[in-house]
Amino acid sequence: MAGLDLAHVRALFAQEAAVRLARLGNQLLLLEQASGDRELVDSIFRELHTLKGSSAVAGFEDVSRIAHDLEELVDAVRGSEGAVTAEVIDRLLTGVDELNAAIVAGVGPLMPGPDAEPDVMPAQRVESPPSPDPVPPPRTESDGNGVVMVPMERLDELVRLVGESASAHLRVGRMLQERFRIDPASCAEYIKLSRSLNDLQDRTMRTRMVPVATMTDQMHRAARDVARARNKDIRWEVRGADTELDRGVLHRLSEAMLHLVRNAVDHGIECAAEREASGKPRQGLIRLHAMQLGSEVVIAISDDGAGIDTERVREQAARQGVDVEHMTEEDLCGLIFRSRLSTAALVTDISGRGVGLDVVRTTVEAASGRVEVRSERGVGTEFRIIVPITLAVLRCLLVDAGGQRFAIPFHRVITSRRYDAEAVTRAEGRPVVWVDQRPVRVSRLADTLAMSSEEACDGPVVVLGDTADSHAFQVDRLVGRRDVVLKGLGPPAPHLPVVAGAGVEPDGSILTVLDPPGLIRRAQRAARTDAPPAPAGRHSVRRHQVMVVDDALTVRELQRSILERAGYEVRVAGDGAQALSSLLQQPCDLVLTDVEMPNMDGFALTEAIRATPALANVPVLMLTSRAGDSDRQRGLDAGADGYILKSGFDEGSLLAAVNRLLGSTP
Amino acid sequence: MQAVLLPVHQELYALPVRWVREVLTAPQITPLPTAPPEFLGLFNLRGEIVPLFDTAALLGIGTIDAVAFTVVLLGPQGPAGLATTALPHRAVLDAPTGRSEHHGTAGTFRIGDRVAVLIEPSALLAPDRRLSAGSA
Repeated sequence: MAGLDLAHVRALFAQEAAVRLARLGNQLLLLEQASGDRELVDSIFRELHTLKGSSAVAGFEDVSRIAHDLEELVDAVRGSEGAVTAEVIDRLLTGVDELNAAIVAGVGPLMPGPDAEPDVMPAQRVESPPSPDPVPPPRTESDGNGVVMVPMERLDELVRLVGESASAHLRVGRMLQERFRIDPASCAEYIKLSRSLNDLQDRTMRTRMVPVATMTDQMHRAARDVARARNKDIRWEVRGADTELDRGVLHRLSEAMLHLVRNAVDHGIECAAEREASGKPRQGLIRLHAMQLGSEVVIAISDDGAGIDTERVREQAARQGVDVEHMTEEDLCGLIFRSRLSTAALVTDISGRGVGLDVVRTTVEAASGRVEVRSERGVGTEFRIIVPITLAVLRCLLVDAGGQRFAIPFHRVITSRRYDAEAVTRAEGRPVVWVDQRPVRVSRLADTLAMSSEEACDGPVVVLGDTADSHAFQVDRLVGRRDVVLKGLGPPAPHLPVVAGAGVEPDGSILTVLDPPGLIRRAQRAARTDAPPAPAGRHSVRRHQVMVVDDALTVRELQRSILERAGYEVRVAGDGAQALSSLLQQPCDLVLTDVEMPNMDGFALTEAIRATPALANVPVLMLTSRAGDSDRQRGLDAGADGYILKSGFDEGSLLAAVNRLLGSTP
Repeated sequence: MQAVLLPVHQELYALPVRWVREVLTAPQITPLPTAPPEFLGLFNLRGEIVPLFDTAALLGIGTIDAVAFTVVLLGPQGPAGLATTALPHRAVLDAPTGRSEHHGTAGTFRIGDRVAVLIEPSALLAPDRRLSAGSA
């Protein structure tokens, strides 16, 4: 250790341990599926042995002890002839979790982790065949195999600088033309520079890409753990693991993908006896299939289980007031993403979070993607997440509206067409056009953006869609396609639901990129109120007000702090009676209530709200530690719109549920 | 205290010089649809997209219809521009002469015969202090 202090040794150990633990987890999952693989057992033994030694050097005796116990267990497996049992894999995986916890307790979060900045680059992928040689502790940012871990901020900065260089290059071209009368297209040096910059932009974008394989082990483990907990036998299969997409996109999708995998095992795959009775193999199949299609990546998570019970969905939807009479099986499957239906009818805490599929949809949409489902009763279900490869460069349709140019992300454009006044009909006081045999409302984009002029417009319509709805927007004219280097607009710029970000044009001007889901929500809200959207700027806007009802001060204040940080106005009450009295004096936009409270509990409060005409339409969200089906049903019967379990409560799920019920962010 | 004075209509506002990154003539502004009144839009600062605020609207003294200059400040959340109606200039602020009332300000100072109100950018530009167009 000469020349290295303990802190330095521990930092090195942390880097080494991160790689080894990821590899161990992967190897154990592989071993479960190939239990006779002696080489794999030997490799696992070596990993543990090396980890034991390294941790002792770093002064982590508890880590060393856990590694030693696991090493003994694997040694016993090496000495036996039989297959490795699931119980042994359970013990080893739990041991890896314990090692992880002990190391984190000693050195802090491990890199690379899901939230750590440096990424495991493709050459380091955990699905690579296990190396027979122990990995030397990394002494620099390079692991010696030509792979360097680079913080994401540096890559973002690189992307920004390349975009800036490309803009400057175009300005130079214009200057050549205007000042020196030289046509840039005839200038060999200029053309060469153009090519180099294009290549540079392409290569820079690629540095942000990571393969789907960086996520698959985590999902395999989740599937495996749920299967063990539910006593189900499953086979995990991955195809297209080398499909690459932007690290930021993949990271945003991770929770949604985990939820779908857990859901597939828990609700999709039948128990072995049931499968045998219906002529299926005992072992259920969970498959993740990733593929690139053009500028999009499709990640399909499928199971060969029972399929979605569309009759149950139909009943639940009808109870919620949805007109299901003419709905096809496909339409009914699509309903499971609806907020009220999924929170009320299909809520599950198998993922440990108590959230529904509408949260999956919200998460995917936040990554500028969409989610689809196909299901056949008795055959299986497939969820498809479709996202752009990168959010850094977005292929956009450029349009003019209200005298300004806007970019609309192409993956949200269903179609564009000439505006034919004679083909426009009306429904519920609003103009409607037919798109693929479905009526779609039309609004002028300029009106929706509150920048309307009174001039009549005969420009084309652009039909935009998200997973829930579609809406047609009439624009002044279509301008063309453009790849826009998208820059998000964080604070101090205000959050505007209709704006996804902005890009810098070659002439230095700024192009506003619109957010189609936000546009659709705004247009439809305007349609519902039968009034034009609130005019832009220079008018104050009321924020949504949420009433938090809980007798526990800590929980109440935690909720208040989360909601206020998210921009909601919050009122609080200590029990149902207090809340009802306050609401009768001044209603609010949503009630978030505990169930068990003195004086008046959450069920009684919900019933009272529903029975009061002035409050009957206020959404009620229940947050409780009661996990039983009967309690859940009682809450829904009382009129609650959603149910969040305290065991799965976190900031994200609370805000997602509240945003969902209010139909927007604050 | 070294400060940059921002003329806003007939009034003067002072920004501690440590906040100021640079002063620009009126940049080309791209307005954002549905934005709240105090937000004028975005401008391109050498490839960086920077939000520009109407200083008068932020301070509740009307609006700036024609931006003359922009003071770019580097706040905790990134760069932002504050619009002015005339050329900003440097000054040394002596002891405060009194308190100021508007949020995002921190007292008044004498500049010759005029009064300058000291701006606290972190409070003035805090998202929860500004109106949001989120539900517009």
